[in-house]
Parts: sequence; C-alpha cells; structure tokens
Amino acid sequence: MAHSAPKHRQLPDKESKLFRELLTQYELKQYKKGIKAADTILKKFPNHGETLALKALTLHSSLPEPLTVSAVPKKEEAENMARLAIKKDITSHITWHVLGILAKSRKDWDEASRAFAMARKQDPDNIPLIRDSIALLTHTRQYPAALAARHHYLLLRPQIRSSWLALVIAHQLNGDLDEALKVFEDYQTTLKEEGATGPEKSQILLHILRIYIEAGKDQEGLEKLRQGVRDGVISPRGECTLLKAQMLANLGRQEDALQTYQELLEQNSDNLEYYKGYLQKKGIGLNAELTDDSRSKILDTLSSFAEIFPRSAAPRRLALDYSTGDKFRELARAYIVKGLERGVPSLFVDVKGVYTDAEKMKIVGEIVEEIVGKLEKDASLSNDDSISPPTMLLWAYYYLSLHLSYPLQTSPNYPRSLDLLNKAIEHTPTLPELYMAKAMVLKRSGDLLNAAYEMEKARLLDGQDRFLNGKSAKYWLRAGEIKKAEELLAVFTKKDLSPVQDLTDLQCLWFLQEEGDAYRKEGNLAMALKRYQALATVFQDYEDDQYDFHTYCMRRMTFGAYVSLMRYEDQLRSHPGYFNGALAAIEIYTQVFDDPSITEENFSPEEEAERKKQAKKAQKAEAKAKKAAATSGEKNDPPVPDADPTGIQLLKTETPIDDALKLWRPLERLAAERVETWLSGYEIFIRKKIYLAALKALKSAQSIAPSDPQLQYQILHFQKSTSSAELPESVKAVINSELPSLLTTTPEELSQSLGGNAKSPEEIYYAARGVFEVNGDKQQMKETLLKLGDEGVTPNIKYMEKSVQLLKIISPEDVEEVQKKYRARCPSAWVFTPSTEKETKRRDFEGGLEGFQGERYEEGKK
Amino acid sequence: MDIRQATIDDLIGMQNANLLNLPENYTFKYYLYHALTWPELSYVAVDPRGRIVGYILAKMEDEPSPNTEPSGHVTSISVLRPYRRLGLANKLMKQSQEAMVAHYKASHITLHVRKSNRAAISLYRDTLGFEVHAMEKGYYADGEDAYGMRYLFNKKSEVESTA
Repeated sequence: MAHSAPKHRQLPDKESKLFRELLTQYELKQYKKGIKAADTILKKFPNHGETLALKALTLHSSLPEPLTVSAVPKKEEAENMARLAIKKDITSHITWHVLGILAKSRKDWDEASRAFAMARKQDPDNIPLIRDSIALLTHTRQYPAALAARHHYLLLRPQIRSSWLALVIAHQLNGDLDEALKVFEDYQTTLKEEGATGPEKSQILLHILRIYIEAGKDQEGLEKLRQGVRDGVISPRGECTLLKAQMLANLGRQEDALQTYQELLEQNSDNLEYYKGYLQKKGIGLNAELTDDSRSKILDTLSSFAEIFPRSAAPRRLALDYSTGDKFRELARAYIVKGLERGVPSLFVDVKGVYTDAEKMKIVGEIVEEIVGKLEKDASLSNDDSISPPTMLLWAYYYLSLHLSYPLQTSPNYPRSLDLLNKAIEHTPTLPELYMAKAMVLKRSGDLLNAAYEMEKARLLDGQDRFLNGKSAKYWLRAGEIKKAEELLAVFTKKDLSPVQDLTDLQCLWFLQEEGDAYRKEGNLAMALKRYQALATVFQDYEDDQYDFHTYCMRRMTFGAYVSLMRYEDQLRSHPGYFNGALAAIEIYTQVFDDPSITEENFSPEEEAERKKQAKKAQKAEAKAKKAAATSGEKNDPPVPDADPTGIQLLKTETPIDDALKLWRPLERLAAERVETWLSGYEIFIRKKIYLAALKALKSAQSIAPSDPQLQYQILHFQKSTSSAELPESVKAVINSELPSLLTTTPEELSQSLGGNAKSPEEIYYAARGVFEVNGDKQQMKETLLKLGDEGVTPNIKYMEKSVQLLKIISPEDVEEVQKKYRARCPSAWVFTPSTEKETKRRDFEGGLEGFQGERYEEGKK
Repeated sequence: MDIRQATIDDLIGMQNANLLNLPENYTFKYYLYHALTWPELSYVAVDPRGRIVGYILAKMEDEPSPNTEPSGHVTSISVLRPYRRLGLANKLMKQSQEAMVAHYKASHITLHVRKSNRAAISLYRDTLGFEVHAMEKGYYADGEDAYGMRYLFNKKSEVESTA
C-alpha cells in the first residue's frame, strides 16, 4: 500500500526503516528502544501522525501497573499524543487503532468502539485490528457486529482452524445454534483436523455436543458422542457421560439414562447431582409431594448405594432429607453417632439442613440428649457393650450446645449451651473448636465482645492457622474493635503493605463487607462507604477480567468454559457479595440525602487528634512520593496514593441518590427475584420523586413477597407521599388506578392489624413505623416497638437496635424506657450494656485472656 | 458434602475459601486462567447451603519439554478448618488426579509445599502417597524453601491397597 500512501505519511528510506523497527520493538516490548527510534523520526518529521501514534502506544505500554506517581504525567502525555496523532493523520488506520487501544485500557468502551470502527474503515483487512475489534465487540455484547467481524476474519484466514471454530462460537453467542452447527460441519469438510492436540480435539467435540443438546438435537448429538468415545477423542469421564445422560433422558430413554447415572456415580460417589439425577430417572419425582411409596423407594435405593459406596456420606445424608418419623429417628441416630465417633466438627452444619422441618429439629435434639445422657453415665450406646471413644462425649456436648442455641429455636438456651461447652473444655482444654463454639453461642446471645474474646482464645491455641486468625478478626470487627482486627489480619498479609490494602488487592470480599459494617455501626459512614465501594470495584474487576479471554479461549479452544464465562459474567452482580455491599451503600446514600449534615465531620477530641495524625501522615507520604518521583526514575517510585483515604469525598457527594442508583441498576437486572432489591429501589425512587418507578418497585416487591413487613410500611409511606405531592394528571391517574390493588386494606386497618397481630420482630418494627406514618402517634409507635421485648417474641437484637435508632430520631424521650425493656429480654446483648458496665466487663475479659495465655504457655512447655 | 467439578460460578467461592485458609493467595484472574485452560481439573466440596468449603485448583504443566510425559500440578488445595476429618482433601485430590489421567494422559502429578508446613507434608505423603523429589530454595515470596512433591500414577494401585 506504500505507493498509495498520502504524501504527509510518506517517509524517506532511512526513517521508513526506523518506523518498521519501531513496530517490531513495540511488539518485542523493547519500549525504551522504541521511544528512541520514534524520537529520531519525529526530530525530522514532527508532524508524522503514525509515528506519533506509535510513540504514544509505546510510551503507554511502558508504564508500570499499578500506576506510580512519576508515571501519571507520562500517561497523560501518551493520551494527548494519541489525540494529536489523529489530527495529523486522520485517514490512517494506525492512528485510530492506537486511539482505540488507549481508550480500551481506560475501559472507555464507547470511545474504543468508535476508534476501532474508524480504523477498520481505513484498512478493512487488517488482521490485528479485526482481532482487537472482535474482542471489544464481544466484551460489550455487540454479538451481531462481532459475528460479522468473525465472518470477515474467516474469509481472510480460512486455513486457520480457530477462525472456523471461533465463528461457531460467535453464532452460538448470537443465539443461532443451527448456523453454529452448520459452520462446524463446513469446517470439518474444509479443514483436515490434523494439528490439533488430543486435549484440543476433546474440548472441541465436547462443546459441539453441548450445542447439540441446546439445539434439541439429542439423537445426532448422541451418535457423535458415541463415535467420539469409540475413537478415543473424548474420555467418558465426567462431563461427557453427564451429557450422555441428559441426551438419553431428553430422548425419553429413562432406562439407559438411569444406567448412565449409575456409571457417573461409580466415577464420583460424592456428587449430589448424580444421585438426584439417578433418583429422578428412576421415576421418583423429587420435587413433587412424595407419597409414602416413593419415599420408601428412595430410601431403599439410597440404602443400597450406602452399601456400594461405604466411604461416601452422601446417600446416608440424603436419606435424612427423604425420611420421616421413626424411620428418620433411626437413620438420624446412626448418622449422628457415626459423626460423633469420628469427631467431625462440621456434623452440626451438615445435619442442621433438616432443621427447616421443626419436627426433625426436635427429634435430633432428643437423639443427642439421649446420647449425652448415656455417655455421661459411661453407658454403651449400643447393646453390644462396645466402648465409645472417650472424645465422643465431648463432641456430643459440642453438637448439643450448637443445637440449643440455634436461631431457629423459639427459645434458645444460651446458658445451658455455654455450660455444656465449659464441661467439654474441662475435658480437653486445648481444642480450638470448643472456644469457637463458645464464641458462636455468645454471638448468638448478642454478647459480641465476650464472643470476640473466646474466639481469640481459639486463635491463641493455633496461631499458625489462618482460618482461626480470620475468624478472630471477624469477631473483633463485629464487636467494633477495628484496629485490633487489622492488627491480627496483618499476621497473614504482605509485610510491605497495610493489611487493608493487601486484602483489597486480593479481593477479599468478606473482609470488605465486615469492616464496612463495623464502620457503619460505629457511625463512620465515610469509611463504611469506602469499603462498600471497594466491594463494588472488586466486582468491576471481576467483570473486566474476562477481556483477555475473548481471544485466549479461541486459541486454547476451551469453548465450553468460555461460553459459561460469558453467561456467568452477564449475571455476575447477582452474587451476594455484591448484593449485600450495594444494599448497605444505598442505605447510606439515602441517609445522606435525607440529612446532608451527617457528612459534616463531627468528631470527639480523640478522633480529631487521630484524624489530624492520619492526615499529616498522608501528607507526608504524598510529599515523599512527589519528591521521590522528582529525583529518581525507576526506584523509589511509589504507587499513586489514595486520594480519599478517609472516604469523606465519597460521603460528601453532591449526588447521593444518583450514586445509589448506579449501584442499584445491576440489582434491578440481576437480582430481580429478591424482594430486597425492590424495597431498596423504592427508597431511591421516592427520594428522586420518580413516583411511577417507585410504584413499580412496590408492585414488583408485592409480587415476590406480598406480606413483607417493610413493604407494608412502604405502601403506607407511598400513599402518604403521593397524596401530598403535586403531580401531573397523567401520573396521578396511574397511581390512582394502581394503588388500590396494592392496598389490600385501608391504611388504618393495615396499621391496626399489623400492630395487633404482628409476631415476628420484623413485622413489629415495620408496623410501628407504619402506624407512625399514618397517624403520627408517637405513643402508639413506642408501644408497638416495646413488643420486641415481649416474652412471646423471638428476641432479635438487630430490630431492637433499629428501633432504638428510630426513636433517637423521632422520639428521643422514649429511648431509655424502650432500651430498658430490651435489656431485660436480652441481658447479655452488648449494644444495650451501659458503658460503665462495659468497662468492667472488658477488664474481666482481658484478664481472662491473659490468664488463658499463661496457662496455655505452661502447658505448651510440659 | 457434595464433591463436583468446579465451574466458573464456583471461582469466587474458591477464592474465598483460599483466603480464609491459606497464606498463598491469588487474584480472580488466576482462577479464571485455570478454569479456562484446564476446565476438567479443578474440583470443589460444597456444604448443604451451597458454600464452598474445600477445593483443589489444578493444572497441567503448560509447556512440557519434548520427551517428557504430561504432568499435572496442584496449584492449591485446602479444606476449611471446620470441615476437616471428612476425608475431603483426599476425595478432591483423587477426582482431580483421575481427570488428569483421563483427559490429559498425565503420568504423574506434582505440588509445592512449605518446608515448615508439617501438617500438609504429612497429608500429602502419608495419606495421599506423594513423595518429596526436590527442594526449591526460596520458592515462596517470603523466602521460605519449598519441597517439590510428586506422585506417579502408575503406582496408584499400590497406594490404594495400602490406604
């Protein structure tokens, strides 16, 4: 094309040679040399657009990741240079391609798309350019455009295997399975397959089989599968056989499918899906109401599997789900005895799955009480005089303590649980699990600080165990001891980073959520928001991580995993890690909207001092960084410091509700089946005064959980807000026609009935708010809230705390009375403990811990 | 506990379990790299609530030199503390090993372990049949040495009969 190049692009031979070298140096990552070559050309031809573009790209690629202080201006320089290059040469594919690559690295998909499109206009057949475009189009889910680009690519490179196969995938992603299979057939007749490795051939065939199933072509798929196994292209282990079972089932060949599930179980007898598939193919509907007959059939099958696979717990555990009454009692006892004999710490977590059935929970309690009773008397558990291992009683105490304090119990017995654990500890004082259980029981009773001290004892027994370390840190966070938690976590994080930085870099979701919650609890909304936003950033990174795989997987031919990745990323933010953090952050944003004064920094003198210290430290660090950047190149060039270390900039946002909406949008799309999504959406839209969206949120919530207490409150709130607001007629008309179907009763009746019959803590809390919303009667609200402390209501510290917070805003004079009643109901709840007592308690715990360390140390020496 | 091949949906849970349990951690992309290169080799143990309580993250040696047989490698394996004594590590390892043989014709499997981690060494050697075949000086970021351990698949029947 050189002969047709416009004049301003032409270079004399010497520079032209340098230019080609520059291209190679960029590809070989010899960035320094590249920049030097570019500078030599630019000295003579400062307006040469393509050289400017390549220099910008080379400079940009040479920057460190994460960006350091000294690299910031260089990045800007590269960005500006890339733009200048376009101005100098607007018809060059290189200048546009480079602009696109830089936009892509900023994750500015729109600009990158436009730039790549411009570049392709200049040079439609440029292979690297098409490849980059396909990745971007796929990443931004522009499947038809990606498909067109794939097509074009195949025309240019028909002899390459992956051009064909990638086109198959492009058709699949675009939703055209028939075309995908057709391209695959063309590929087989056009290209000989030699060259592909064994694993590659296997990946290809396995994925084609998946497409056959998706396309409903089970018979053809089955034949291909058989052929593939016969020829040794695919191994019958794992997915291949599972696909076979599915195809057989789809073809109505239940008997063969059953046999195939049997084969799968022989490969892996701990896979629950295989058992469920087997039982289903046996014609026993698992989801339907079970008849006694099918129940006993299932149990027979499971019992024979238990014999065939003696090392697998699955058939014995599944039997607990499907049995009832005396049969359940018999099976559960055998299962529990076996677990206690082996000292399996997870036995409770395993068995408690059946507790959703209150009858089964009761039976399990009776079984374990009976075991404890017998073992305490040294009696044998069976009639054959066999002796139980001495640790069995200890594990029985452990189980029973968790059982008695389990939140589903109407009246959890915390004192007895602790008593049992103390007995176990007397027997074996060095087992961390016993202290962990104590911590859990205390946590359930609301005694968060005591719980943290017990968890710390568990940690002290095995300081090398990261699991115990993390648990202890988590319990400190829950008790509000943020600093202590961070100090502990530092034991296992990188030494040259703060533990928070390291855990953030490593995308440690639990930590970000827990520390955010801890900050929120102590009223530091700025830091809480910072942690929740860090969570949102982690999920953004999870999304961005897929980018390289659009190209990589086509090369590695791992199509099945790739298509799952695409589907997974599309619903990524339905993950509870995102969900919980986003909901919490949204609540903070609505708080800021309601009362912007909470963003004003109101600190106690100690906090003020601490803040000043931190600010000084940050300032120093920045000054040092700047200095280092100015004096040296590579060494001592620190990463760009956090511009908002305290989160205050986040909190002081001018647009809290828009920030909330940004976090909420993915939930609307991906967690639409959760009532919380719509409850949270309502709080956003009502504040934005977008009444129809608020109405839609209420309607969606109602279709999911019509009796949700918070929803009942929101309906009342909506009615009141819209009745007093000035609305356009059209909006009013919609509300007037829709609202009656939301309000099943009049507001007065609703609040009355909620107030009267409410039993669950959540119902009581929102009934109180509803009452106040309707009639503004503080007295009635207080009386409703007091019910949370009644004997007949399961004690719930979360709603008690929320009630106190509510009263502090609306009716501060009632706080004391209500708090007093809650305290009488939950005597060990840390939040209701007066601060004077807190200090004494804390000293006691601290003393206990010191004594504990001393004792353990002595024992260790023995 | 349910034991099954890991899918893309499991990777966040695996990352979480790894961060809870072990000092050697990786960002999400590294898990993606495993799952999108050797999708059959990683396994998870899942509790009744759907929480991942154990995992094996495994791969093949990526660029085997000619004349060497395909070799599997365990990048990371762990079981959350409360879920020990169920034999989960053993089951996860077995599933992964069988997949290595079935899909990649692996002849052996290797892993690294901290020289000081006696509990892990004993698990690999006494329960899983590995043996130390090399010492790698300063393998870990903090400078600690690693033992390279290896298990040959053709010896499998022998180990199984003694287990």
